[in-house]
Amino acid sequence: MPGKIRKRSPLKPPERPYIALGLEGSANKLGAGIIKHSPDGSTIVLSNVRHTYITPPGEGFLPRDTAQHHREWAMTVINDAFKKAELSIHDIDCICFTQGPGMGAPLTSVALVARTLSLLFSKPLVGVNHCVGHIEMGRQVTGAQNPVVLYVSGGNTQVIAYSQQCYRIFGETLDIAVGNCLDRFARVINLSNDPSPGYNIEQMAKTGKRLLPLPYATKGMDLSLSGILTSTEAYTLDKRFRFNENSREGDNDNIITPADLCFSLQETIFAMLVEITERAMAHIGSKEVLIVGGVGCNERLQEMMGIMAEERGGKVFATDDRFCIDNGIMIAQAGLLSYRMGFQTPLAKSRCTQRFRTDQVHVAWRA
Amino acid sequence: MSATQILLSQATQISQGAEAAIYKGRLSDSGLDEEDVLLKYRFHKGYRHPTLDASLTKARVAGEARALLKCLRADVNVPAVRMVDALEGVLGIEWINGKSVRFLLGGGAEDEEVTEEMADGENLPEDATEELEDQLLEYNVSSDEVMTMIGTEIAKMHLADVIHGDLTTSNMMLRLPSPSPSNKTELVLIDFGLAYISTLVEDKAVDLYVLERAFSSTHPASEPLFAGVLKAYEIRMGKEWKAISRRLDDVRLRGRKRSMVG
Repeated sequence: MPGKIRKRSPLKPPERPYIALGLEGSANKLGAGIIKHSPDGSTIVLSNVRHTYITPPGEGFLPRDTAQHHREWAMTVINDAFKKAELSIHDIDCICFTQGPGMGAPLTSVALVARTLSLLFSKPLVGVNHCVGHIEMGRQVTGAQNPVVLYVSGGNTQVIAYSQQCYRIFGETLDIAVGNCLDRFARVINLSNDPSPGYNIEQMAKTGKRLLPLPYATKGMDLSLSGILTSTEAYTLDKRFRFNENSREGDNDNIITPADLCFSLQETIFAMLVEITERAMAHIGSKEVLIVGGVGCNERLQEMMGIMAEERGGKVFATDDRFCIDNGIMIAQAGLLSYRMGFQTPLAKSRCTQRFRTDQVHVAWRA
Repeated sequence: MSATQILLSQATQISQGAEAAIYKGRLSDSGLDEEDVLLKYRFHKGYRHPTLDASLTKARVAGEARALLKCLRADVNVPAVRMVDALEGVLGIEWINGKSVRFLLGGGAEDEEVTEEMADGENLPEDATEELEDQLLEYNVSSDEVMTMIGTEIAKMHLADVIHGDLTTSNMMLRLPSPSPSNKTELVLIDFGLAYISTLVEDKAVDLYVLERAFSSTHPASEPLFAGVLKAYEIRMGKEWKAISRRLDDVRLRGRKRSMVG
């Protein structure tokens, strides 16, 4: 079978500049971004504004409060996006919004904003799958062509690869998502949620020295994380656990600190993620990996993935927090791609859904 | 150098999977009989913490050998074990002459590079079917028979309480039948790297679910094929099937809900 088939992309170069507004609010980030596709084939990010709902340490974000945050900030964030792009809403071609998956209440609030703007300014709506948004933005930013995608965030953990106009899910979590696992552990040891619990775990893990045994649960290309969370939490009740780092004195090193737990948690979870990604790469014969989603900006994960890719003679692509963490621009990018293929979401079908799988989307813009 | 290292250094690497590098070596039995042997070398993974890596490697080599032996005792078609060195991370097993089911079903070869832009790596459906029949001809079996064999082997394995842990079409091979006409083509289950022993219905159902997902992701439009696998599995499992079937439905449902948890 020929290894390299070059197919023509069904997406025609735009005959005029296309501009889209993207609105994202599936979790605790509210984002608005404006993107432009030019006739010369270039894609320009005109603005990418985000406001995050941050809860006190030890608390997660609840749907109702998050929705309220999004409603309060929607106008500010959208106005800011237009101001930075030096455009008015009349200049755009379509309004893209996250249709799912995500938390119900925040999704609905943002969709309501999108619908209102659409009716007020007679602009077509384009509903976007959040996961596809991440993938398309990742491909755009990094230039990866046909990578295996590891999508790791607070609500999702999936290993994805493209085949026949569909992003197929090869492996995923059987229970909780990676970000969820990290966030919840951050709550247990009372880490700050600012800028994000995952970031603070990453910093804390840098001083961790001791690798504690935790369950290692990969099942084929799937993985399970809930048991690891329970075991890590159990260590905080261990006799050897010292909440205060400085109590590690001289020869008494048989103690467990929060930093050790962060370190062990990261090392174990990320090893599992890299392993299932590697398995997917071997399975479909790809040499490129793209990491997207909020957990994707963790540098230790990127480093581990890089070592794995190098051992296989491949390459890893990752983005920084502007594009990794939920944002409006990725919704604009994925939405504009499908809008250019003639896709629109009529008002009557613009309702959001909490369960919207990555493989339910027809990827019309790829061959 | 240990004996294992010498053996490895004389072997030729044939591929690198996700878990390990695969070598083809020759094992001599006191200089009389020499036979080809497949060496599975779990080399140190640089991305993993050394402690974690060492314990995983050791546990996996030993676990794989243990699962293979249990399968062999239960008459499941798996490669025979030739040597084990858990500390070095090397497992030597019988060399199987044949091709992977994944390749024979037109899912592409495992090491084939799916590159660039718009290459989606798959042929048009019609081409694929034609090619598929050609490839299976050499083995003297139809694709439906292959599905039956898959179902039967997995059932035999599950009846022995071995859970494979990574059932995909890449991890099954058709053994090229030897020239004598009485010999039938055999399906061999390979790569027991993630296998473990369990009597739980849950684990068996998840094992099947993993295969189902692998089927739909590597061989689009393969639902009827997978139904053939389940049918043969059902027949072989007998009265145990009912519980597994019910649990499989649960697992599938659980899977679909996974898009947003927590």
